[in-house]
Amino acid sequence: MTSNWAQVLFNSTITGSLYLIGAVGLTLTYGLSKFPNFAHAEFITLGAFVGYFVAEQLELGLPLALLVAFLVSGIVGFLCYRGIFQPLAKRGASIIHLMVASIALGFILRHSIGAIWTWKPLHFTAIWSAFNAGPVRITGLWLWLIFAALALSLAMHLLLMNTKIGKAIRASSSNPELALASGINVDRVIWITWFIGAGLAAIAGIFRGADTQVWPMTGWDIILPTFAVAILGGIGNFYGAIAAAFIIGLAENIGVVGLIALGLSTTYRIGIAFLILIITLIVKPQGLAMLFRRA
Amino acid sequence: LGPLLYGLDVIVYIGIFGIVSLSLNLEFGFTGLANFGKVAFFLIGAYTYALLSQIGIPFYVCLIAGALMSAIFGLVVSLPALRLRADYLAIAVLAFGEILRLIVKSEYWLARGDWGIRVFPIFPWTGSHLIYRLENMGLVYLFLLICLLVVQLLANSPYGRAMRAIREDEVAAEALGKNRSKFKAQALMLGSAMAGIAGGLYAQYLQYVLPGMFMPMVTFTVWIMVLLGGPANNWGVLLGAALVEIFDRGTNIIKDYITLPIDPTNLQYILFGALIIFVLLYRPQGLLRESAIKTKALRSAYNGRSSTENKRS
Repeated sequence: MTSNWAQVLFNSTITGSLYLIGAVGLTLTYGLSKFPNFAHAEFITLGAFVGYFVAEQLELGLPLALLVAFLVSGIVGFLCYRGIFQPLAKRGASIIHLMVASIALGFILRHSIGAIWTWKPLHFTAIWSAFNAGPVRITGLWLWLIFAALALSLAMHLLLMNTKIGKAIRASSSNPELALASGINVDRVIWITWFIGAGLAAIAGIFRGADTQVWPMTGWDIILPTFAVAILGGIGNFYGAIAAAFIIGLAENIGVVGLIALGLSTTYRIGIAFLILIITLIVKPQGLAMLFRRA
Repeated sequence: LGPLLYGLDVIVYIGIFGIVSLSLNLEFGFTGLANFGKVAFFLIGAYTYALLSQIGIPFYVCLIAGALMSAIFGLVVSLPALRLRADYLAIAVLAFGEILRLIVKSEYWLARGDWGIRVFPIFPWTGSHLIYRLENMGLVYLFLLICLLVVQLLANSPYGRAMRAIREDEVAAEALGKNRSKFKAQALMLGSAMAGIAGGLYAQYLQYVLPGMFMPMVTFTVWIMVLLGGPANNWGVLLGAALVEIFDRGTNIIKDYITLPIDPTNLQYILFGALIIFVLLYRPQGLLRESAIKTKALRSAYNGRSSTENKRS
C-alpha cells in the first residue's frame, strides 16, 4: 500500500493546528501559575458543548459559536483560578496540592457538563463541503481550523510582543518577584492569562467536537497530546508550543501510517504523544525553549 | 441478611482500597512523590493475577507475581521520574496509566479487550454469599495488616525519617548523605508492589477484570482517601479509605430510594471533587495530623532537658 504523503502532511497541519489552539492556554497558565492545570481538558470540553449549544441547538452558526464559547469558557477559567487556585496558592499550597485540586476541578466540571447535557455523544450536523485539491482531500471545517490557528499565532505574537499586557505576561512568567517589584500587577496578569487560555481551549474544543464528537470526555481524549505540546515546547513558551504542536501533529500522522503498516490498532496514536512526552522529560525537560530564548 | 451482606461488601472494599491508600501514603505522605498513576499499578496487579490464575497457578503465586510485576513497572517508571520535578513526575505517571489502559483495551488477544476476562475465585463456592464475603474479608484484612505493619515500621524507622527528610527538602537530605534517587525508587517500588497485591485481591473478589475498572477516577479516589484522612498518618489514611468507601457505596444504595433532579453518578463525582478542594483549602493536613516522630534519642533528650529544668527550679 502506498500512502498519500500529501494527505499525511495536510492532516499533520490540521492536527498541529488543533493541538496548538488547545495547548496555548495550558502552557501559558503553567508558566505563570507554576503548576499544570489538569482541568484544562475540561475547558476544551466546555467549549465544545457551548459551541454545540450555540451552533446546533440555537442554530446561530459557527462564528458566533466560537465567540460565545471563548467568552463562556474564559470566564469559567478566570473564576476557577480566582475561586480555587489563587486562594490555595495564597495559603501556601504545594504544587502537588494544586495539581490534585485541578484534577478535582476537572471532575466537577466534567460531571457538571455530563449532568447538563448527558453522556450521550452529540454530533455537529453542519455539512462541510469537501473537495479535492490534487491528491489532498480538504473540508471547509479544516480550512477554518487552519485559519484559526494562523489567526491565533499572529494575534498572540502581537499581544505578547507589542502590548503592555503581553510584556507583563512574559515578565511575570520569567520572574514573578521582579515583575511585582517593577510595578506589574501580577495577579491581574494571571487572571487575564487564565481567561485567554481557557477561552482558546474552548475554540479547540469546538473544532475537535465538530471533527469527531461532543461528549464529556472530548477534552480528556486529547489531554496527552496537549500536555506533550506544552512540555515539548517548553512550559510557558508560546513559540515553542507552535513548533511542538506541528512536530507532534506530524509524528502522530506519520505514526498512524506506521501503525497501520504494522497491523496495530490506530487508537495507539495518542501513544505517540506519550512517547514524545516521556523522551522530552528524560532528555531535555526544558523542551524546545532554548531555541526561543526571546519568549 | 441484605444489609449485612452489603456491609461486608463495603468492609472488603475498605480493606482493598485501604491497602492502595497505604501504598500512596508511603509514596506521597512520607516521601512526597506525586503518583498520579496509582491505577496503573493496581491494573498490573489485577491483570497479572487474572491472567496467571487462568492457567491454573495457585492464588498466592499469582498475588506475589502481581506484586513483583507491579514493582518492576514501578522501578521502570521511577528511572526517568527520579530526576524529574513533582509536576513532571505527575504528568508522566498519569500518562503511563492512560497508555496502559489503552493497551489492555486494544490488545484483544491479551485479555479480551473491553469484554474483560473472568477470574476464578480462590474459595470454593459454598452456596452462601455470607461465607464467600467473610472468607474474602479475612484474606483482604490479612494483607491489609501486613501492609500496615510494613508501612508503620518503615515510617518510624531511620529509613522513614530519611524519607520524610527527602519530602521536606531533597537537597538538604542529599547534603546529609541520603541518596534521594535510591529512596524515591524504593518507595515507588514498594508502593507499586502493595498496589499490585490490592489489584490481585480486587480481581479475585470481583471475579472479573475489565479496562473500565481502571479509570483515572480510581487514582483520584485513593488521593481523596489519603488527603482527607491525613497524609503521613497510616491510621488517618485508613480512616480516609473507610469514609470515602462508605460514602461511595452509601450513595449507591441511597440513589435507589430517592429521586434526585440530577444523575446520582454525576452528583457523586461532583461531590468528591468539591470535597477534595474543600479539604485542601481548609484542612490540608487531613483529619488526623502527622504524628511526631518518637525515638529513644529524642525521648532521652527530652527527659534530659526537663530534668535539668527541674534542677534549675
